[in-house]
Amino acid sequence: MEYPEIDAYSSMDSPIHRFDPRAKIVSFTFLIFSLVFVNDIRVAFSGLVFSFFILLVSRLPPGFALKRIRMVFFFLFPLLLVMPLTVEGREIANISGISVTLDGLIFASLIIMRALAAVTLALTMLATTRFDMTMKTLYALKIPGTLVQMLMFTYRYIFVITDEFSRMWESMECKGFSLKANYHGLSIFGNMLGMIIIKSYDRTRRVYESMVSKGYSGRPRTLVHLKMSAKDYVLSTCMVGIAIFVHAYQFI
Amino acid sequence: MHISDGVLSFQVIATGWIIALILNAIILWRCKSRHDMAEEIPKISIMTGAFFVASLVHVSIGPTSVHLLLTGLLGVVLGIMAFPAMLVGLTLQAFLFQHGGITTIGINNVMMGIPALLAYLIFRYGYRKGINASVLGIICGALGVILSGIFLALMLITTGEEFTEIAYAIVVAHIPVMIIEGIITGSVVTFILKVRPELLPLDREV
Repeated sequence: MEYPEIDAYSSMDSPIHRFDPRAKIVSFTFLIFSLVFVNDIRVAFSGLVFSFFILLVSRLPPGFALKRIRMVFFFLFPLLLVMPLTVEGREIANISGISVTLDGLIFASLIIMRALAAVTLALTMLATTRFDMTMKTLYALKIPGTLVQMLMFTYRYIFVITDEFSRMWESMECKGFSLKANYHGLSIFGNMLGMIIIKSYDRTRRVYESMVSKGYSGRPRTLVHLKMSAKDYVLSTCMVGIAIFVHAYQFI
Repeated sequence: MHISDGVLSFQVIATGWIIALILNAIILWRCKSRHDMAEEIPKISIMTGAFFVASLVHVSIGPTSVHLLLTGLLGVVLGIMAFPAMLVGLTLQAFLFQHGGITTIGINNVMMGIPALLAYLIFRYGYRKGINASVLGIICGALGVILSGIFLALMLITTGEEFTEIAYAIVVAHIPVMIIEGIITGSVVTFILKVRPELLPLDREV
């Protein structure tokens, strides 16, 4: 199993890395929500090009980014095959009585472009900031502390439990177990899952006690002071401007 | 199964966020007034982490493979806190693995969180009535998956008629996952009841 290391390249240097985390999260989120609802395929394409441009500016390694963006494409690719057959509209081809429509093709490409633009932006936003910094930014943005703490702890324990899971999985494979979709395989796997849950439950006790002994009271305290510079204001104004423009251009 | 960005209409996404935020606020407020949050936060987070890791496992059936949803099991183990736990899990999944989408976190939370809550209620009610726990586990596991599938199909149909055929296909595709999850959930619940029965929130009040 792989670790979900989203911030492996957060120590690099680029204009996006230097962007103030608060302004970054707000303007990227705004842009994502805006691009996801565009209805014109040309606008969606421009949005996709723009998000790839941001990715290029951030200088993240292409392999790292493409591996993650590819997943979304594979997930949505079936739409491109199915929708031309199911959506009614202008016909472009007729395969033994089944009509292939242009409208279906356009609609499926629109969906894929919107999704790819969103995932590219989200990836750039998260990969250019250290994860703990992102969490501190969420506190600064007044997201409820309970949720931010749950996000932070869950993220941290995903790594621990991945290790634990891999250990148990290896020892089961050493004894000849392989997961197949039959009753025996699934119920053995269920027992292993039960063990993971029990182990994690026991761990919660120990973690809580050690945290309390270090002064944890459920209220977070951060020592980071963020400061916005003129560059941050310009960049976020640009991004928010683009986000508004893709919807407002038809009224101008 | 979750919806990615760019598929659903604005109305569906907005409704999803509103329902998810209201339900989360109510549940967290209720939990805050009954328990010490300093103790609950690490507990729920670590359990969410465990479910997160477990849901990455792929089971191969024939030529394809499915990954586990564990909706029903999450409800049975965490009780009503399954709903905020699902929010945290989905957020991390969207950002760390690019599964699902960012704008659809709200609707995905509703789609998978409500079946989890129902699974919890059914399990508690059935257990008090004296129904065999492994049978209940199988029912809750299966129900969690198929309800999520049906919710997903309904959302696609409300978004546009273009999706009708795809929606039917999705419900059919959920049937094998439903069987697999039913068996796994039944076996997990039996195991936990044998080894550590106090872990299940059966005697606790809601």
